Amino acid sequence: MRGFLENIKIAFRSLFLNKTRSFLTMLGIIIGVGAVVAMLSIGTGAQESVISSVQDIGSNLIIISPGNPEEEQQMMGPQMMFAGDNAELGPDDVTAIEREAELVTVVAPVVFGGGMVSYLNKNTQPQIYSSTENGLELYNMDIERGSFYNRGDVSSSSNVAVIGQTVVKKLFNNIDPMGKIIKINGQNFKVIGILEPRGTDSFGNDQDNVVSVPVTTAQSKLFGEGSYDMILTQSINEESIDDATEEIEDILRRSRGIRIGEKNDFRVRNQTQLLDVVSTITGIFTVVIAGIASISLLVGGIGIMNIMLVSVTERTKEIGIRKAIGAKNRDILVQFLVESIVLSVTGGISGILFAVLISIILNNFTVLETSITTMPIIIALSFSTAVGLFFGIYPAMRAARLNPIDALRYE
Amino acid sequence: MNDNKLIIKIRQMKKTYRIGSITVPALKGVDLDVAPGEFASIMGPSGSGKSTLMNIIGALDIPTTGTYLLDDVDVGSLDDNELAVIRNKKVGFVFQTYNLLSRADVFANVELPLIYTRDRIKNKKARILDAIESVGLTDWIKHRPNELSGGQKQRVAIARALINNPSIILADEPTGNLDSRTGEEIIGIFQRLNREGKTILLVTHEMEIARHTQRIIYLRDGVISGQEAVADRLIAEEILAKMPRLEDKI
Repeated sequence: MRGFLENIKIAFRSLFLNKTRSFLTMLGIIIGVGAVVAMLSIGTGAQESVISSVQDIGSNLIIISPGNPEEEQQMMGPQMMFAGDNAELGPDDVTAIEREAELVTVVAPVVFGGGMVSYLNKNTQPQIYSSTENGLELYNMDIERGSFYNRGDVSSSSNVAVIGQTVVKKLFNNIDPMGKIIKINGQNFKVIGILEPRGTDSFGNDQDNVVSVPVTTAQSKLFGEGSYDMILTQSINEESIDDATEEIEDILRRSRGIRIGEKNDFRVRNQTQLLDVVSTITGIFTVVIAGIASISLLVGGIGIMNIMLVSVTERTKEIGIRKAIGAKNRDILVQFLVESIVLSVTGGISGILFAVLISIILNNFTVLETSITTMPIIIALSFSTAVGLFFGIYPAMRAARLNPIDALRYE
Repeated sequence: MNDNKLIIKIRQMKKTYRIGSITVPALKGVDLDVAPGEFASIMGPSGSGKSTLMNIIGALDIPTTGTYLLDDVDVGSLDDNELAVIRNKKVGFVFQTYNLLSRADVFANVELPLIYTRDRIKNKKARILDAIESVGLTDWIKHRPNELSGGQKQRVAIARALINNPSIILADEPTGNLDSRTGEEIIGIFQRLNREGKTILLVTHEMEIARHTQRIIYLRDGVISGQEAVADRLIAEEILAKMPRLEDKI
């Protein structure tokens, strides 16, 4: 369309003439679009890091935890992991899976705990992660130096420990930790291995602030006899993950004497289910963001409409001149519509730049990982165009409908 | 061109305004012809219907009854868009208050009618420059109206009125805001344009100005009360030559 470029030029010129006013009007859109794109970048970043940590752990992993799945679904957060006081997981469950399951490789019970770990006059409180010799592989850890505890250490409840990088830094400044005796909750343990660094997980927790000891030692000497927090196993390959999950569920129902019709008192989850949870959370997050976005764009749009109505009144004379000289109603309509779209799209673009800035700052100065994808940008741009169009149409129609004689006489 | 063809042919034209429930007649049956190449003026006291008549002739408004043919087009039957096309191509307006776009420079103001002309325009820039040159403002192309004197602003308005080569130039009190010397200069431009073949219709309440035209049409109470050919026409160039210049006095 000829004259369209001309309209954009006119729009920019008139917006530039009222810099402060244009900026304040755009601020609504800038903040709205900026907040939404920034938050989506945080959401996408979190999602990506969850997915990548899931893939780190290995997509064959199956997690068995105590408690009723239906009840737990109501809860969010850390309780999810440790729910269900009455139903416990014990060595019988491990044995049952090891003996009967055909679609899984190794099985390892896990007990988490905390405790005071000290060497000479230094101490720290890492996460204590206890398991069997299979725990290394299943928990996706690697040994940097030394070795993990073996089957013999587990069966004899040896006082041996494998420590993570953070613990090394905190307890042994420049000393070689290998073979040193550390105290865990007052008990002597010999350091036999150091874990490779793993960094932080998606929630910002330091995964290197960890000490691992044999589960038998942990139960008999550190935390007291009790149930397992979870049992880890893995399917023989990725394709059989769902079959293996079902198989374990059948085995445990039988071995725990759960009758048909009764609900499970344990949960069997695999990574695909975890990913489902992540995508559910992301879905909720997206709906909330969309809500915020529509409110802020609505408010921004009303601001644009307001200022466009003022602009139409201010420029009544100009409209009269243009009409007297041959502008059709449509020409005036397009001129003012382009102006409000330019206003909102400029706001949208500034908002995106603002969000990119926030995302870069968050990425570099906080633990949050952000990721800006093209989708939110395209959506933000099309929505701000739509806002300009929608809220600009009424003022533009008022301008277009002005009677040229009255408009010319307007002072 | 057909000799008995008229630029403006108005027959029994009436215009009434409705204000609330009462109707106010502004024009009560006007007959008016303007031939090609004519330079005519309309005179009348305020309230005589001058503005209404100019608005209708300028296709800003349409008559209530009667016919108005502009270049054989029945303006009374046109819709808003068609009226806009007429204003754009067949009418060149010059207003008392100039009515230039204050944010646009001289070039852009003169260009304005071309923006709303849908056809492709050849040598657009040259045409604009020609129009500006014909009113003697070539050195002022980049200036905005607030940097120009009243006379210069009116020259811009004339250049803008000329740019689309209209059938008629309508000038509504074009000298009303100008001092006598500048006013004389503007009238001089109109007389020159008329000599070059332009048809011009001028509204004024000053007899002195009207006597520069070829014919004076008197309007009173919404009807044409009389017409006369100007016998001893004033020529702006001669008057300007006799006028004392400010420079000569100091």
